[in-house]
Amino acid sequence: MTTRRTFLAGLAAFGTTPTYSWADLGNPSWVSAAKTPDGSHALLGVSAQGDIVFQQPLPDRGHDTVLHPKHPHVIGFARRPGRFARVLDCRTGADLAMLHAPPGRHFYGHGVFTRDGAYLFTTENDYETANGVIGIWDSRRNYKRVGEFLSGGTGPHDIALLPDQDILVIANGGIETHPDSGRTKLNIPMMRPNLTYLDLTGGQIEQIELDRSLHTNSIRHLDVDHAGNVAFAMQWEGSSSETPPLLGYHKLGQNPILLAAPDELQQDMNNYAGSVALSRDGKQAAITSPRGGKIHIFDWHLQTFETSYDLTDVCGVAASETGFTVSTGTGVIANIDKTGLNAGARTPFLWDNHMVPLPDPASQHGT
Amino acid sequence: MLRSITLLATALLSLSTLSLRAQDAPVLQDVIDNHILPRFAAIDNTGAELQKAAQANCAPNDPALRTAYHNAFDAWISASHIRFGPAEDEQRGYAMGFWPDPKGFTTKSLAGLITDEDPIVFDAQEYTEVSIAARGFYALEALLFDEWINAQGTAEYRCALIRAVATDIAGNAHALNADWTGPYVAKFGTLGADQMHENEESAVQVLLNALVTGYQFTEEARLGRPLGTFDRPRPKRAEAQRSERSLRNVALSLASLTDLAQRLSEGHPELQTVFTDGLERADIRMADLSPTFAEVEDISGRLKVEILQQETARLREAANTTLATFWGVAVGFNALDGD
Repeated sequence: MTTRRTFLAGLAAFGTTPTYSWADLGNPSWVSAAKTPDGSHALLGVSAQGDIVFQQPLPDRGHDTVLHPKHPHVIGFARRPGRFARVLDCRTGADLAMLHAPPGRHFYGHGVFTRDGAYLFTTENDYETANGVIGIWDSRRNYKRVGEFLSGGTGPHDIALLPDQDILVIANGGIETHPDSGRTKLNIPMMRPNLTYLDLTGGQIEQIELDRSLHTNSIRHLDVDHAGNVAFAMQWEGSSSETPPLLGYHKLGQNPILLAAPDELQQDMNNYAGSVALSRDGKQAAITSPRGGKIHIFDWHLQTFETSYDLTDVCGVAASETGFTVSTGTGVIANIDKTGLNAGARTPFLWDNHMVPLPDPASQHGT
Repeated sequence: MLRSITLLATALLSLSTLSLRAQDAPVLQDVIDNHILPRFAAIDNTGAELQKAAQANCAPNDPALRTAYHNAFDAWISASHIRFGPAEDEQRGYAMGFWPDPKGFTTKSLAGLITDEDPIVFDAQEYTEVSIAARGFYALEALLFDEWINAQGTAEYRCALIRAVATDIAGNAHALNADWTGPYVAKFGTLGADQMHENEESAVQVLLNALVTGYQFTEEARLGRPLGTFDRPRPKRAEAQRSERSLRNVALSLASLTDLAQRLSEGHPELQTVFTDGLERADIRMADLSPTFAEVEDISGRLKVEILQQETARLREAANTTLATFWGVAVGFNALDGD
């Protein structure tokens, strides 16, 4: 019997699906999950001008999304502890495939494709042992799981690929959770987050840990500039009487550099960075704090604090033509450029934690 | 000028400032005076009693020692949702109660001390340097109730270890109470532009966060861990099951949290009813459960624990939405998500 699923699998095997490009979708500039006015959840593509160019329903609240570098396919993860992820054709809204976490695993909601789009790497929790795992999926074989390796720590969250190198960088947040106890954090006094670099077969290239006094600073989100310098954003699990740095700069082979605003501004972040992005020219870094309602901008070359902007429930941030675009859980999309923060009209969508820019602006201009 | 006068007044006349504040922030004042401070006074008192009992008789099955253990543990569970402020300093909250402990660090750390006959137990100040897993109520529970631990090493060393853990609990409890009644209460309770909290709403937001997190911990950890999954219930993972405190801790936490919720709903009976009714429904369910949730292993028993978990979730939801909206401090779509 041909079920819908085997039919779709057959299509994928014959290479029917990859004939569309992102251009066929009206050149979205970024993609994000959101809650819609009727209370349902959706995946939306938005142009640089802030226009919605596509909208596809999601069954539940999403977390991060991963964009296929060539085709208008999006991996939409269920929220933690998600056990499956959908591969969605943004053009038709069809499910192209479903990724099921193996038994004893759940997804953390982040992933990254190899540059050619052939393989997808996902961060996962092997929750009986609390080992972080990277799952490998073959997009050309209907997202069949083809392998896995250890992430080098507990609670791997974001994952990125260094430019021009087959090196993965992984934010091992350090926090142990188990689906039976929901989001309860099981090891805060013992947690040891790290930043781990692995080759594509899981071989460790480098691993850094912060100073022991910062062991409760969970390394969660990443961005990488064209030179391969890694920006990592952190969430503090320690005492609220301290205001640790929430942004780090790291280059392979060197010591990390931590960046913070002056104390009186740093405390406004509520010890929480929800997302991080580097500008396209690599000159600036932005971190957002939905808990503090702040965006902090840093000079990425000088590694110094530049400025702070106020925006309620801001979390999503992505590089734009002129600087950064940010999104909020209250429906606002705003642009940050040399003139400052310019909020557009409030959209009816409650934007989720992360906005994802198209992998390469050039891919928007035809195949 | 005005600011320095305010600071002087705060420093010199903290008692009259407390009463002055009450006019502006009656709910905050009530929570501090009648919810928070009595709870930390209770852990201080019961902690001291525990230390005394351990000094008097350190036999693990000594009835007076076990009673003192239960009394102090009761006091801690009723205060443990106040995790901001003094409980964050030096990880005191975790040092009082390190649980859940999926990797069994408590048993391993204690067994390590016993096997090595580590002399650290003979110095109270030094003992604060041991692994957090070997401190607090769950470590003391293992020493008093765990058969395997009580078969390790010598009775003399285990006695010294029991006294060290009890002394450490008492010291921690006293430090928490001293900080709350001393410098921290003035910081937390004084409102103003240059203060920790600009207005009552901002302080209430911290209390609401503690309330929601408290309900969530009982729902997800205290009830979620023994429930496990339908195919694999995990009764041995129930909190403090060796001393048969699993249900008792749930009952104490729900009562204490609901006391806070009612104070935050003061003057609004329709809000207070949401919480008192919710607690009453939970109490009815709890009357029918065993002390250690052993019933999670059979289908009808499991269902009863699941219903209690749902009642707890409803209380959490009421705090998170109804009460937060009432105070105008509803947490944002992304701020709440925390990922």
